[in-house]
Amino acid sequence: MHLDPFARLQSDPWFLSGLVLASVLGLAALIGPAMVPYDPHDMSFTPLAPPSAAHWLGVNDGGMDILAELLLGLRNTVAFGMSAGGLALVLAVLIGVAAAWTGGWADALIMRLADVLLAIPAVMVLIVSAAFFRPEPLSLALLLALLTWPSTAKGIRAQALVIKNRRHILASRQMGASSGRIIVRHLVPELFPLYWVGFAAKARMAMFMEATLAFLGLFDPSRKSLGLMISFALKYYYLDIWWNWLLPPVLALSLLIMAVTFLAVSLEKRFDPRLQETL
Amino acid sequence: MYSRRWSKRWSGIAGYLIGAMVLVYSSHRLPALLPGDFVTAMFASSHVTLTAEQDAQLRAWYIHRPDFGEYLLGLLRLDWGYSFAFLTPVSRLILEALPWTLLLAGSAHVLSMVLGFWAGVEAAWRRGGRVEKAAVGLMTVLEGLPEIATGVALLLLFALHAGWFPAAGAQTVYARLSLWAWLLDVLHHLALPLATLVLAYLPGNFLLTRASMVMVLGEPFVQTARAKGLPPLRVRYRHAARNALLPMVTRLGLRIAFMVTGVLVVETIHSYPGLGTLLFNAIAKRDLPLIQGIVLFSSLIVLAVNLALDWVYGRIDPRAAHAP
Repeated sequence: MHLDPFARLQSDPWFLSGLVLASVLGLAALIGPAMVPYDPHDMSFTPLAPPSAAHWLGVNDGGMDILAELLLGLRNTVAFGMSAGGLALVLAVLIGVAAAWTGGWADALIMRLADVLLAIPAVMVLIVSAAFFRPEPLSLALLLALLTWPSTAKGIRAQALVIKNRRHILASRQMGASSGRIIVRHLVPELFPLYWVGFAAKARMAMFMEATLAFLGLFDPSRKSLGLMISFALKYYYLDIWWNWLLPPVLALSLLIMAVTFLAVSLEKRFDPRLQETL
Repeated sequence: MYSRRWSKRWSGIAGYLIGAMVLVYSSHRLPALLPGDFVTAMFASSHVTLTAEQDAQLRAWYIHRPDFGEYLLGLLRLDWGYSFAFLTPVSRLILEALPWTLLLAGSAHVLSMVLGFWAGVEAAWRRGGRVEKAAVGLMTVLEGLPEIATGVALLLLFALHAGWFPAAGAQTVYARLSLWAWLLDVLHHLALPLATLVLAYLPGNFLLTRASMVMVLGEPFVQTARAKGLPPLRVRYRHAARNALLPMVTRLGLRIAFMVTGVLVVETIHSYPGLGTLLFNAIAKRDLPLIQGIVLFSSLIVLAVNLALDWVYGRIDPRAAHAP
């Protein structure tokens, strides 16, 4: 683990293909919306126009450029997934390490709380909050993180307990290092690979969730998203325009989830201590 | 030994009970947290127009705050409120949609578990072979496909393009069929949404079974069974696979909560008249009592299923019942 932990990953085809896919989609989400000359909210084009040199993917029923919508929707999905995944990871690290380090009743209490949260279906809580309070996407991402940190925190806590009893930690305690110093200098950095596993899994779940909530129509209708595009395009499935309107968001969403899945699976295989033998 | 076993069982049940109470209590407090004049705000942006009387009723339902015990009793008495978009009691709408969701989700879970388990065991047995590598690759790709995508693809291909399966509904309405013809009709309507869900659940089950089976096959007791000269089929299933089943049951419990999303989306895409479609319509019409009812009801079902799985887990793994 003190060697470069990513060395072996570089020869994993799943990791590499996931990385390539994720970079392409990430780049498209980052600079794509600026590359298209149209505002995705501009409704001044001929509704349902087929693809042309001016509108590569045609125009939707509301007279908006589909390519511009697609790229902005992709950006929104990626942003939601990254923020929810990042927030959940931060919570999981703080709580998991704190529980492992303090031990005793605080640890027991935190783990019981985690059990209760694991029993509550996050989807349902999100649906109700989105339908009743119409929060900003970022607030929803925070809510999702607050509900889903336990599974990652459990893994981090288990590994932190293992590291806590290793000799170098005992030695630095013996030499009078403070708890804070040991946590910051030893515990948190040595758990580093687990963070990638946790982040990839949580980001995947959050992107999935964003697509579902958007598809169900739970975000602000003017917020562009892949799920909402699919939901609108599906209403016109009987027309011959599904291949330029319905297919692009479906493909983009599939490729995005697939990229994150490949990364999550290969990271988990590499870094999850329980899976070491099954490689 | 006995007291420990029971205390473990009860602390598990207590976790779920606390979870259920948290949900019911939040549902009970929800109206009080709503901002200002939400009735006007909600219905102004929807297609539903309320008469003055209905408007007053809805306001009264949300302004009248029963205490928690009264609310709980009301839930037990199936008094879940009144849907203003469908002009029907919420509990009746839910009970009408429930059988279809149970049929769809239940058959999808059973099918994907049996298939995934069998394929996972066989794959681990043939570890390193070409077939096994191809299967793992295919399943990893499938794992990356969201239900929205597979559902739309199957709908376009088999319902609209080929026309082999109906594109919507759970049965042919107004067709007076004999029992067998009706069953066939129901299966015909079930095929596409079921296929979508099985494609979504199968890869996870396969990959997990394979991983745990690979670990079990390395254990000494499997070697013993082989050395005794037992037939391979018996070693594989009676000795090894039984132990590989356990992680799958645990994981199923953890994942069921997230699978609810899958059913929601798939039912909506295929217009299957279950709870998911009902919720979709309720959201589209901003029907607050109905949304609240469906969400609370399905959350409680998720909890109940998880509790049942805990019990099953204790049954199939004697160690879990005796574990400290």
